[in-house]
Amino acid sequence: MANRRLCVIGVVTMLFGLGLLLNVGLAQQSEEPVKAGAASPAPAGDLVPIDLKLPKPAFKGTPKHVPPGSRLEKPRSAPREPFLAPQGTVNVAKDKPVTSSDNDPIIGSMKLVTDGDKEASEGGYVELGPRLQYVQIDLGKPHKVCAVVVWHYHASARVYHDVVVQVSDDADFITNVRTVFNNDHDNSSGLGLGEDMEYWETYEGKLIDAKGVPARYVRLYSNGSTSDDQNHYTEVEVYGQPVE
Amino acid sequence: MKHGWAWALGLLAAMAAALALRLPQLDRRPMHGDEAVHTIKFDELRRTGSYHYDPYEYHGPTLYYLTLPSAWLHGGSALSDTAEGTFRIVPVLLGAGLLPLLWLLRDALGRAATLVAGVLTAVSPALVFYSRYYIQETVLLFFTLLTLAGGWRYVRSRQPGWAVLTGVGLGAMQATKETCIIVYAAFAGASLVTYLWERRAARGTADMAPSRRYGWWKGWVAVVSAAVLTSAILFSAFGTHPRGIVDAWLAYGTYLDRAGGGIHTHPWYYYLKLLLFTQYVPGPWWSEALIVGLAAVGTAAALAGRGGGGGDIRWLRFLAVYTLLLTGLYSAIPYKTPWCMLGFLHGMVLLAGVGAVALWRAGRRRFGRWALTLALAAGGAHLARQAYAAGYTYCADPRNPYVYAQPGFDVVRLGRRVEELARQHPDGRRMFVRVIASDCWPLPWYFRRLERVGYWESVPADADAPVIVCAAELADKLQPALRDSYISSFYGLRPDAALLLYVERGLWEKYLQHGPSGTAPTGKREGGMPKPKAPA
Repeated sequence: MANRRLCVIGVVTMLFGLGLLLNVGLAQQSEEPVKAGAASPAPAGDLVPIDLKLPKPAFKGTPKHVPPGSRLEKPRSAPREPFLAPQGTVNVAKDKPVTSSDNDPIIGSMKLVTDGDKEASEGGYVELGPRLQYVQIDLGKPHKVCAVVVWHYHASARVYHDVVVQVSDDADFITNVRTVFNNDHDNSSGLGLGEDMEYWETYEGKLIDAKGVPARYVRLYSNGSTSDDQNHYTEVEVYGQPVE
Repeated sequence: MKHGWAWALGLLAAMAAALALRLPQLDRRPMHGDEAVHTIKFDELRRTGSYHYDPYEYHGPTLYYLTLPSAWLHGGSALSDTAEGTFRIVPVLLGAGLLPLLWLLRDALGRAATLVAGVLTAVSPALVFYSRYYIQETVLLFFTLLTLAGGWRYVRSRQPGWAVLTGVGLGAMQATKETCIIVYAAFAGASLVTYLWERRAARGTADMAPSRRYGWWKGWVAVVSAAVLTSAILFSAFGTHPRGIVDAWLAYGTYLDRAGGGIHTHPWYYYLKLLLFTQYVPGPWWSEALIVGLAAVGTAAALAGRGGGGGDIRWLRFLAVYTLLLTGLYSAIPYKTPWCMLGFLHGMVLLAGVGAVALWRAGRRRFGRWALTLALAAGGAHLARQAYAAGYTYCADPRNPYVYAQPGFDVVRLGRRVEELARQHPDGRRMFVRVIASDCWPLPWYFRRLERVGYWESVPADADAPVIVCAAELADKLQPALRDSYISSFYGLRPDAALLLYVERGLWEKYLQHGPSGTAPTGKREGGMPKPKAPA
């Protein structure tokens, strides 16, 4: 009889414990932030949020309604969750040299793309001419790229077209080119069909998970926006670590 | 004589600059909704040979009649054969045509002031921007200046031909746009003030009431007769639509109501602020303060009787009062669109010429005059630079203050895409396109080469079509009305409005397979862009 009672207590305790463990596990899962890609060699325990500082919001009224069936990302109603990357991951693009397909920008200079100023303020962005244009950042040496964050022009609501982000070890992007983001769904850029969604520009910028891909050069394309045909770059940050 | 040649060459150079800033790349800016409406109205005239004036919408017929030669020269027998340039060349030529008209005013303004006014006319950003815009405003401005010039020449010469020209100008103004009534009011007010001023100045002298000496009524009869006749001929579409003559006068009731503003309501200082300084941060800044500032000096000089420089002080006084009245009237009316300021802006441009000469004459030392000349040259160059930025680089950019309810470049992409899709469809140009949007302009312009385009303001029960263009706010209702499978794309129409392009899946896959031109795409492009330059 005593054994039987002990057995029941044991089973109830086990069930209780199991439930508790499940509950905690689920809770942890629901709060789990975005992790840097599977290609990252770091153990999961070493992942920490990247130190991403956001500029001030420059406008109110990003359209919340996304028409059904459109290839447009639904704007978040809450701030973006922290992006997790291996410890020691920093913005390796800061003050790195930038080149472009437009040799004569309408406004600003290439230095602005990596100068650390991402505010939607006067003199804070470079404005490239119409049609498909790119900016290219030379990280100086190969890096494991965990994330690319880009702010085009976030002083008004707009959607940039044919946003394509590629990385390579070749400055001319002829060999070993890998695409980490592509929302050109009709191949109008000639860079291949993309499956990623278009998105509204906001002060949060667009964070692209590059999954730790190793590369020295990062190239970002765009092809005008819903507002005008120019291509703007306020800031690009590349989060990664040198390849050892 | 030597100076006369230099002056004439200077005016010719200004004319060349005016054309150089206005003429290139007339298709650069996407068609504005209003421009697209005017192309359709022109097409009605071209097809029917008659223009039926509507006193509730649209405007008078001069713009459309003036477009006929351009359409003939372009060999266009249908709207589908025309391009942006077919239409925009009309305001370009009339905008540049303001300069030859200045020649008629050389002894009213003074030669030097006329030359400065000519240069400012050529490079004023607003005048350049709206000279590349297929709307009535530049046409109205041209006929306004024609009236002023004809009137001045008549006062000088008393030759009836000039009186008739003045009347033709007045009639053509009415047949261009209903807002001519505001200009008429400024003409009348300025004439009265100038007359009373002259009477007061001439009190007790032999110059009292000078106009009576010339049989003034004959001139008035010629002016009024020519004006009424011109207006009647144009509004009746050369006799084919007599009702237009009555409607031309009934229209003022409609436009009096509209002056209340509605969505175009702006504060009284809207135009002045726009001219003095505008900047939508972050973005470039814009200012025509040089013109406004010089015009203020010119106004003061004219009212003080110190116009000098060979101009006629009575006419300068008239011009100053006319410009002040016109600015005041347009500012007082709640309804404001930026192109409405062209009338008084050009008055300011003429006065700016007077102001520049007055300043130059006030400079007593050679150094001061040289410094002023250099400052004016630098200011003029800056205006020209802004004119280029407004007309080309930022021609559809919301940060450009002259851009108003302007569709973005997405609408051009959309038009091109639908044409590309039609090339892949078995029906070709007869492919059915369904447009569902309460505000669809300027899409009819971009779809002008397609033969079967239907427009709906709300979602029909059966909405299927190979290609559907739907306003973003109606997409929720469209989705349940579709049976086929579609691929959709997002296009901006204006900063506050978006469109969705739905393409039937089979057609879309065929399009992707064959590419925009109908041939197979060359595949992924790598390294095809220009080589990067060294960092700055």
